Amino acid sequence: MANLKDIRIRIASVKSTQQVTSAMKMVSAAKLRKAQDAIIQIRPYAEKLNEVLISVSNNISSEVENKYATRKTSNKILIIAIASNRGLCGGFNSNVVKKTVELVTIQFKQQALKNNVDVITIGKKAADGLKSKGIKVIQNHVDFYDNITFNSVSELAQVIMDSYANGDYDHIELVYNQFKNAAVQNLVNEQYLPVTIARNKVEKLTKGEMKLAYLFEPSIYEIVSVIIPQSLKVQFFKAILDSVAAEHGARMTAMHKATDNAFDLIKELKLNYNKARQAAITNEILEIVSGANAMKS
Amino acid sequence: MYLEIITPDKILFTGEIKIARLPGILGSFEVMKNHVPILSILSRGKIRVRQVNDVISYFLIQGGIVECSNNKVKVLVNE
Repeated sequence: MANLKDIRIRIASVKSTQQVTSAMKMVSAAKLRKAQDAIIQIRPYAEKLNEVLISVSNNISSEVENKYATRKTSNKILIIAIASNRGLCGGFNSNVVKKTVELVTIQFKQQALKNNVDVITIGKKAADGLKSKGIKVIQNHVDFYDNITFNSVSELAQVIMDSYANGDYDHIELVYNQFKNAAVQNLVNEQYLPVTIARNKVEKLTKGEMKLAYLFEPSIYEIVSVIIPQSLKVQFFKAILDSVAAEHGARMTAMHKATDNAFDLIKELKLNYNKARQAAITNEILEIVSGANAMKS
Repeated sequence: MYLEIITPDKILFTGEIKIARLPGILGSFEVMKNHVPILSILSRGKIRVRQVNDVISYFLIQGGIVECSNNKVKVLVNE
């Protein structure tokens, strides 16, 4: 049986841990609500932009030449891994790291052997995790999460898009956690560039609706050259927002589990403590009684 | 005619309007009822909206895209 004092100290430390984890859970819940609101706010814009994009591609007979279109070769790959700056959120960060490692070593193995795969990370934990796996990270953005606005995000998106347009990379892949609900995050990797315009979606629309003859001003090509970069920025922004919401959701779940676990631990320790105390009392009584008996006889 | 002005962060305006003047990239133009379907790029400038009750409101934009079809005008503002 453990020492009474030891158990008491143990209980006190577990209790304070429980307080910390339940406070962190509360904070994450509040932040999650904020992050969810941000996702809801971007949704109408993204949906409308997509509608416009679809109606534009409805009116394009052939593939429009643009600098974000598909290239024949895919020699140079860029992977953008989006995770968080902080830990204590379950498998949130390690999943991103795992997926990125998988992409480098399996899907883009040919390019990786020629040293043609670069990784940019957003969030400190992703960079740390990838470094420990021996993957070189060329850029790491950590001060990104302090203030997320469309402008700050689209600046980075513009840099990335430019590097594609300049021919620095032939294929850009995003790895991030998609927010499903507070308890569930889906890890996804999606092709960021070259752009893919949903063609099959277009056909579905044309069957039901009348095809509208749009007036394009100044010209359809100039409109495409504005819409595509804008929709790319929105896609990037959405990925970041999703990742932020997923992070808080993951942390909330992790902290909830930790609080529950601390509760169980305290219960068990208390039982042990009471047992030990009772044993000590019984021992003492036994000593007294046996002492008295010895006196009698 | 129905107008929506949307930015990435929030919805600026939705509602029934009589007429809207938009800063098109080739020059300012107005959209009224039964306008032909149009897709255009907006430059930096002011959007002038006359609502059904003749209240006139202005929106300053940094550029964007406008789509108009079936008496529905959607303005996607860059910021």
